[in-house]
Amino acid sequence: MSKPTVASDWLCGCAGCHMSLLDIDERILQLVELVDLRATPITDLKEPDKEGVTVGILEGGINNTANEEVAKRMRERCKILVALGDCAVFGGVPAMRNFFGAESALKRAYIEAESNDTEGKIPSSPELAEMTRVHALHEVVPVDLFIPGCPPNADVIFYALSELAQGRIPEIKDDKLHWH
Amino acid sequence: MIKLTIDGKNIEVQEGTTVLKAAEATGIYIPTLCSHPQLTPYGGCRLCMVEVEGAPTLQPSCTLPAVNGMVVKTNTEKVMKARKFVLTLIFSERNHFCMYCPVSDGDCELQNRAYDEDMTHWDLQPNWQPFNVDASHPYIILDNNRCILCRRCVRACDELVGNYTLGFEERGADSLLVADYNVPLGESSCISCGTCVQICPTGALIDRQSAYQGKETEVEHHIGVCVECPVGCQRDVLTRDNRLVRIEGDWDAPLNHGLLCEKGRFLPLEDDRDRILTPLIRKDGSLKATTWEEALKVAAESFNNEKGLAAITSTRLPAEDMALFKSIFGDNLKADLVTTLEEGKPTSSLAKMAEKLGKSFETSLESLKDTDAVLSLELDLVDDYQVAGFFIKRQLMNGTKLIVADSKDNKLAEATTMRFPLTSGEEADFLTQLLDAFENSSENPALIEIVNVLKESEKACIVYGEAFAANADETAITLLLNLAEKINARLIGVKGNANSMTAAQLELEAPINVEECQAAFILLGDEDPSQKLVKTLEEVPFVVAQTTYRSQLTGKADVVLPVAMWAEQSGTYLSLDGKMQKAIKSLDAPEGVLTSREVLQKIAKSLSIEPNMDWKASLMKRMPTVQIQEA
Repeated sequence: MSKPTVASDWLCGCAGCHMSLLDIDERILQLVELVDLRATPITDLKEPDKEGVTVGILEGGINNTANEEVAKRMRERCKILVALGDCAVFGGVPAMRNFFGAESALKRAYIEAESNDTEGKIPSSPELAEMTRVHALHEVVPVDLFIPGCPPNADVIFYALSELAQGRIPEIKDDKLHWH
Repeated sequence: MIKLTIDGKNIEVQEGTTVLKAAEATGIYIPTLCSHPQLTPYGGCRLCMVEVEGAPTLQPSCTLPAVNGMVVKTNTEKVMKARKFVLTLIFSERNHFCMYCPVSDGDCELQNRAYDEDMTHWDLQPNWQPFNVDASHPYIILDNNRCILCRRCVRACDELVGNYTLGFEERGADSLLVADYNVPLGESSCISCGTCVQICPTGALIDRQSAYQGKETEVEHHIGVCVECPVGCQRDVLTRDNRLVRIEGDWDAPLNHGLLCEKGRFLPLEDDRDRILTPLIRKDGSLKATTWEEALKVAAESFNNEKGLAAITSTRLPAEDMALFKSIFGDNLKADLVTTLEEGKPTSSLAKMAEKLGKSFETSLESLKDTDAVLSLELDLVDDYQVAGFFIKRQLMNGTKLIVADSKDNKLAEATTMRFPLTSGEEADFLTQLLDAFENSSENPALIEIVNVLKESEKACIVYGEAFAANADETAITLLLNLAEKINARLIGVKGNANSMTAAQLELEAPINVEECQAAFILLGDEDPSQKLVKTLEEVPFVVAQTTYRSQLTGKADVVLPVAMWAEQSGTYLSLDGKMQKAIKSLDAPEGVLTSREVLQKIAKSLSIEPNMDWKASLMKRMPTVQIQEA
């Protein structure tokens, strides 16, 4: 039997959950014995295989049409979808803008920011993805496993991945359950 | 007795017990949020739902009285599902994103309950309605975005403190926690006791001083008596890395049950006085750093030169220190003046009466908790000794009558219509008139009203403060005792500082008179010197100050001995109602700084004095105004 395959991607997050994934350190060697790591944002292959993967991991919430597309593609191509980290699970820090709207967030960043030495301008181009309200992953696609944390602890990530690699659904509770 | 079954266990409880209390008594855990042991049940959060056989819906156990034959189940699938759903609804109502919040990760009851239910996420997203954050208060931040509408704060402000500042505006999802008629908290009737912050289960009410300074998992707790006044509240001093993080009331304390006032909770963390870290000696007109040996030698020489010596101590210090002070300067050195900064004003007249009568006549503060009429004499329990004031204020809605007789403006008087203006020094006249009105009626309608209230009362209390004690002569106190006897009232004497009663027991009550004194030893501890003291000491040629902070006194002192502040020493305190309680060391003193007791011991040693170390026996010699209760 071939090894289960794992792919990951990041959406509206800070990459911190992937950094925490790397914090499993040398245990990554144990992991690659059990699974075939495919596309990730920190490896060469960027898109999950068309043939599909066993486990898809997404970090970050969904804050524009591009992220929505990536999330939907990952959902289509994986058997088990994991929401990794508080942004994917709840919307996280980016979701703060939902309380006052994308417009005012853009205005604050591009026009009112103290570092602006000229008038400032909100970027606009048909090539840019359209901003939306920040969503938790499960608002857009069905999610099978939630691993909250900002970021989730490396030990929790290692535990979850090794359980998934061995065909079990990990139980995120007690010491492993932290929302930040 | 009521017999019921919870989760298959047969339980017997008193009539009127709620299902929640019955379950807790048998060790069955039901999660709660709006419920609190010190508050009456409210039934607001619905987390404590249980299944009751025969009932068509789940029932909130916190408000459900146990009845005979009831069969309750707390852990069925239906209950578990409802719990998660209730939590999901609470989380999705407002901004409950834990990563934005200082109480997250251990200090938040909402988050902890969700962890208990293994909730990795919640299914509903909030409606993203923002509320304004009220940061107008000097200590407290009110963030409605994190409020779960449990009303614990409102109920605590009403039921425990009797201040009625907090309330709710609007309905349902728009419900808004507001102060008074929706004014900024900092401009409201809030008295900064901080009970609301301590009782809030989430981060909706946080205090600025401790936010992000240390979570429950990172702090150490030190539970001991508060030394800001003689009420004797128990408080929990939270520290981290030898730093004060926060002070909380001890919910389990038999007297204050978690309550504290601004002075006990917030002000100690605002202290930014200039600390003295090394002994100082005045040379060529200015204070210079020196060694302990040198400073003690110079100090001891000034005590020993057989010219007039005055020794004055603070009444904020532990009993052990004050007894040692008395032994060294009174019994051994026989100084011309051995007294306290208070000169016995809050205690001496009453202590002398107790001695004369050969019995104690005052009673415990607990009497205030179930009194039906209070006569407050020359005492403002809103400005000072606030927690004792809470005991009175919170009962006024339930019919307890309050009579305030004072020669000054009195904030407690705002809570009553029965006010009687006094003339300072003529308290005896008032008491004579009052007693006379009992016998022969009176033409003064105010007096008649007071007499009627006191006549009808069954558990009246008379409380009086320093302003009464300082003026009262034997006649006035005899009149007070007569009045108390007539209406069967309990007497409570509120006494100056945290350890004024110890000073009274040690008979440290002489008026300060330093004429002809060549040297003075001022054991100030962490108190601030009064203007009057500094002025008085101007005529003393040589002053030794044992103190924590730089002040006008150190500006005048010839030798300065730096000592620990309240949090850096342990010791015993006698509360105003005679309870002997321990203050607990919570912090290490800075290097080179000693406790007052250590310095006194060093002084004794350098004078070759063997002081009496049996402080407890020294305290017990004099007949106290109120019975001393050892812990």
